[in-house]
Amino acid sequence: MTEREVKRGIKQLSPIDVYMLLPRTNCKECGETNCMAFAAKLVNREVSLEQCPPLLKKEHEKSYKKLQEMLAPVIKEVTIGTGEHTVKIGGKLVLYRHEFTYHNPASIAFDVTDEMPLHARFPGEEALIERVKKVENFLYNYIGRDLKLDMIAVRSTSNDPTTFRSAVEEVTKATDLPLILCAFDPSVMESGLIVASGRKPLIYAATKDNWKEMADLALMYDCPLAIFAPNDLDFLRSLSKTLIEYGVKDLVLDPGTFPNEGVSDTLNNFTMVRRNACKGGDELFGFPLIGTPITAWFGEKDSKEMLAWNEAYVASMLISRYADILIMRSLDGWVQLPTVIWRFNIYTDPRKPVSVDAQLYTFGKPDEMSPVMLTTNYALTYFTVESDLKNFGGNYYLIVADTEGISVESAVAGRYLTAETIAEAVKNSGVAEKVKHKYLIIPGMAARLSGETEDELKNVGLPGWRVIVGPRDSSGIAKLLKEKWPPKEGEEE
Amino acid sequence: MRTLGEEEKKAATKLAELLKLLGLDANRDIELEDVELTIGEIVLDPSALTSAALKHITPPKMKAIAPPTVKPTTILEAPFTPFIQEYPGKIREVTLGATKSKGGSRKPVVIGGATTPAFYLFEKTPPNPPVISVDVFDMKVTLPKAIRMQVEDVWEDTAAWAKMAVNKWGAKVLTLHLLSTDPLIKDTSPAEATKTVEEVLQAVDVPLIIGGCGDPKKDAAVFKKVAEVAEGERVLLSSVTLDMDEAGVLEGVAKAAAKYGHLILGFTALDLNRAKELNRKLGDYIPEGDILMDLTTAALGYGLEYSFTIHERARMAALMGDTELQHPVLSGTTNAWAAREAWLNLGPEWEPRSLRGPLWETVTALSLLLAGVDLFMMMHPDAIRTIKKVTQQLMTRGKAKPEKIANWVNAKI
Amino acid sequence: MSMFDDIPVDVGVIYEGERIRRNQMHVELGGPKVEAKFEVVKSRPMDEIEDGKITVIGPDLKDLEAGKSYPFGIWVDVAGKEVEEELEGVIERRIHEFCNFIEGFMHLNQRYDIWLRLSKKSFEKGLNSFKMIGKVLYRLFKSDLSFIEKIQITFVTDPEKAKEMMKKAMVIYEARDARARGLKDEDVEEFYGCSLCQSFAPTHCCVITPQRYANCGAISWFDGRAAARVDPKGPIFKIERGECLDAFKGEWSGANQAVKEKTMGEIARIQLYTGQHKPEQELYPHTSCGCFEAIAFYIPEVDGLGIVDRGFKERTVNGLPFSTMADAAAGGRQVDGFHGLSIEYMRSPKFLQVDGGWNRIVWMPSSVKERVKDFIPQNMVDKVATEKDVNTIDELKVFLEKREHPVVERWKAIPAEAAPEVEEVEVEAPLEIPVSGVPITAGGFKIILKDAKIHAKKIIIRRVEK
Repeated sequence: MTEREVKRGIKQLSPIDVYMLLPRTNCKECGETNCMAFAAKLVNREVSLEQCPPLLKKEHEKSYKKLQEMLAPVIKEVTIGTGEHTVKIGGKLVLYRHEFTYHNPASIAFDVTDEMPLHARFPGEEALIERVKKVENFLYNYIGRDLKLDMIAVRSTSNDPTTFRSAVEEVTKATDLPLILCAFDPSVMESGLIVASGRKPLIYAATKDNWKEMADLALMYDCPLAIFAPNDLDFLRSLSKTLIEYGVKDLVLDPGTFPNEGVSDTLNNFTMVRRNACKGGDELFGFPLIGTPITAWFGEKDSKEMLAWNEAYVASMLISRYADILIMRSLDGWVQLPTVIWRFNIYTDPRKPVSVDAQLYTFGKPDEMSPVMLTTNYALTYFTVESDLKNFGGNYYLIVADTEGISVESAVAGRYLTAETIAEAVKNSGVAEKVKHKYLIIPGMAARLSGETEDELKNVGLPGWRVIVGPRDSSGIAKLLKEKWPPKEGEEE
Repeated sequence: MRTLGEEEKKAATKLAELLKLLGLDANRDIELEDVELTIGEIVLDPSALTSAALKHITPPKMKAIAPPTVKPTTILEAPFTPFIQEYPGKIREVTLGATKSKGGSRKPVVIGGATTPAFYLFEKTPPNPPVISVDVFDMKVTLPKAIRMQVEDVWEDTAAWAKMAVNKWGAKVLTLHLLSTDPLIKDTSPAEATKTVEEVLQAVDVPLIIGGCGDPKKDAAVFKKVAEVAEGERVLLSSVTLDMDEAGVLEGVAKAAAKYGHLILGFTALDLNRAKELNRKLGDYIPEGDILMDLTTAALGYGLEYSFTIHERARMAALMGDTELQHPVLSGTTNAWAAREAWLNLGPEWEPRSLRGPLWETVTALSLLLAGVDLFMMMHPDAIRTIKKVTQQLMTRGKAKPEKIANWVNAKI
Repeated sequence: MSMFDDIPVDVGVIYEGERIRRNQMHVELGGPKVEAKFEVVKSRPMDEIEDGKITVIGPDLKDLEAGKSYPFGIWVDVAGKEVEEELEGVIERRIHEFCNFIEGFMHLNQRYDIWLRLSKKSFEKGLNSFKMIGKVLYRLFKSDLSFIEKIQITFVTDPEKAKEMMKKAMVIYEARDARARGLKDEDVEEFYGCSLCQSFAPTHCCVITPQRYANCGAISWFDGRAAARVDPKGPIFKIERGECLDAFKGEWSGANQAVKEKTMGEIARIQLYTGQHKPEQELYPHTSCGCFEAIAFYIPEVDGLGIVDRGFKERTVNGLPFSTMADAAAGGRQVDGFHGLSIEYMRSPKFLQVDGGWNRIVWMPSSVKERVKDFIPQNMVDKVATEKDVNTIDELKVFLEKREHPVVERWKAIPAEAAPEVEEVEVEAPLEIPVSGVPITAGGFKIILKDAKIHAKKIIIRRVEK
């Protein structure tokens, strides 16, 4: 497959192509108005084929298969875990996020070992249950979203089946989070799988020496299987081929995460693997990638802070370069905050600018004579305005209008911000009931809407409201308020 | 056992053929799944072929529901060849600073020249590693504690600050921010500002980037003076914008830069079209090889992904032949500190801030490093050190030692 | 702006949307209460114009009675090496913008519809002469449209003169429109490219021609020409048309080349007059960005095209609203079945001619139909359904048949809808394995079974070395 052909698949798939293969009964069981709407959403990857019950019937088997092929992401989507707590990894459609968007944010797993005490015996000791709980309880609220951590990786340092089995059992009891079981010895792995059956953990990992047994385990327990081939892409690929033929459907690839002097190889390997799949049509590499920044902790002698620092920055690089899962050690807040935020950021849809909630925001303690300002819900716009208002100090009402995350200038040009939408936003905010005055300050770049807006405000039941045109950049708010607030009565005739 | 009849012999042959077809061989087994057998008793043994007769045995009926799968017993070879792309374009190489022979007194630094996306060493080794320029201000500035502690001994004395950055922190390039020229801050005159520039030029021998205050007209005036005073030193004037063009002052600055042999940084706000437009306009007055781009660096958490994507797009476009984007790129990574999360007290579980802040700047820098940035403006020494180290490491492949991590799963802490 | 220090009121972008109400106004010029009102720009030879001359025919602002409405005209003469008749309209449109920059001076509409008001406040501040307004316009024109070398402005408040000059203006408008509508894509040597939307859609570049307006509806070929002239390094640029590869489809080598460059090779070919993307039939539509005014969408059930514009908020006949289909079309792609376009393009004689033009359009919002009615072929006007006629595909089918819409002919050509395929899957393949004595020659195998009905999940037949 040439690059053009691969690209065409994603970029130029028309809803019509998909529509022609659907049952076209317009039965609405999928929740959409009709099959065309469902087709459009499928192309946009907002819904999945399985949401169409008629399609899953025998008579549509051929079409279903064709649609699966048509919509199949170039990197297979692999599910780990069961029940409410599954993670989907992979499922990527493109190499660069600007070509479409990335799907399935990278999952972050934290290790516990089977030789860790269950509970800390003295303060400061690392213990299994406490660590698992810490992972579960991690939470940071960022622009209205809760950022959390995702999985537990149970490592066997004992290499003893019984020890491993009991540790895995404890973990399964302590948490519902999806799991990765890490052992190279198949009998150790099996003992873990026995107690984790029904949880569909990721088996880490198949290597040169154990691949067949690991494959059998993967098939027997119906689990995805990771392949570990440190710095050996020939072997990684060969093992991928072998395992696929063996019948293992869900693979995860680990070309090795090397700290320090090996970081170049690490990034180059990740890049080559992902690129071969996306641009070179290489189906053997069409699987998620797993990075293990945790390796920063082994081998190098250094302070805990230094090791955590190294792990942190390697993790961020792997998030930028195609890792679908990470196994990490450090649960320090200062390490995880930039990690989870960068992960969140890079997985936002570049076609849909990040937005904040469109609503009424208050600064300080605004009263009935405080200025009322308006801006758009483009996240960057909002944060800039918020920052300026906070720096300047004072009490304000800020109405954030929904322009689908588009900045003021573009929203005015693209007609997302119009006199009507402004009036709607003002009405819905309820600010008219909170203030005695009737002045609205709009962004300078929306100047041309000022007159029309006054008319529209009347139309939505807010007669007599006046529009003041604000500065083109929110840093000028200070100056504007100094000069024009409060507006002098009697100036208006 | 009964004797084989003709029918049975035929069927047997068929089976043999079938098994052969299915690939029963040394490397592969045949497995039949979900098989139902109704049988009496049989022992099937080839040695019994010639003699034995099978009696009263109901031949097994096998319902093969799923087609048989052939499983490999050894690893199937599938050697790997990387997908290599040809790029019609490349990034220009630019030299910062000039030596005595060229009229300056600097130790020059070369950036740019990439012929592949960032650090695709499997395609080509980048000719020049990305470089860091350390921030120095011409006045005391409000800084987060994590940085302040590092510079408060010297921040009253710009030349001393510059010296520390070079001698203690190993800076290869310095950015001198003439913040005091801001009309809303101290409104220092161009004449005064250039005095500071001269001081710093005397104090250190690394190439300089001269940062303005952001006011288009003031910056234009200051840059023109600086250009004159720093003639021959090949400084980078940071930065010019399309606002300057609208205010009618762009031409003056660009011409001054060209006259006195300096470089110009064109700054645009996350908009490649405008970046190209600015480059086109600058190209009228100054050689294309003397233009660098700043596409805007948004802090981690405040839009870094926009910067990341626009840098990836710009670099790809340049490599695919868009000449208007083939300029080396600079990142104002210090912007990372604008993020509240870099310095704010968020509570005990997010401490220590002395690590969180520099890590914030580091992560911001690293993402852009992987998106193709050639020149970084940075502030915190820990972040600077890390980026320097990583950059160096990224420049060479083949150093990974598999044995170092082969048993990571079993490693004890 | 410091360029207006001698003007008694402020001049700036922030006054652009300013409204002046009846009770705030000092005087009204043009507007619904008077008959004679116009604004026109005429290009003239260089020697006929005195640069900067501002004339007032009739009473000046200070001599007009407060509170009243007056006939009014603005006549602007321009000259310059690069000034052409074709650019008159583009220059004329700026009068509205520039007047509005003046604090307390409001300008609405254009051409023979203009409506202006001067506020009491500004009059009291000293804005009491058209000469001042003229000065502002003069400076703004000169600075924004640098290709204008000489400009003189005449304000008319004398009723008789206004009437007379208005008649002249109407003739100019007529001629202009006739010329513009008559201008064919084949007649010009260059098109104009616009990459303004590339921030949203990096692989989009509009090719603007006389017969295909920009998707956003804001830029005509003339606008493009003026913009490229004013700012050759700006986002709107000239495209050498090149060789005509296909006149019917509207494919030109120069346009292809430009689009290829501007989209870094993403889009290699475009044809102006089709909305279909079918490489196997060599159909390559113009790309859609995200700010298009309307979408043409394919309705498979009737093999026809529907149209919906941004302003239509309800679901269209196929059940999808504009926004959902916009997502499918947008992003700078060529997506078969969803094609972004402008309303003005619907008035073009080349409108989607490859796909069948108006003979293929089956549904559109009534508001859009009103706007372009004069350009829909007479015999088709009643055959195109609107939301007032039908709301579902089934209703549409009935409507189209009744009205004998041309697409009905196409239905007969397509075979009846194929029933969903039912696949027979071979479930049973009984394999009779004979008892023993299978003469496998090389190597040997042993299968030992005792007693039974065995359901084996797996039977392995393995080669055993001798």
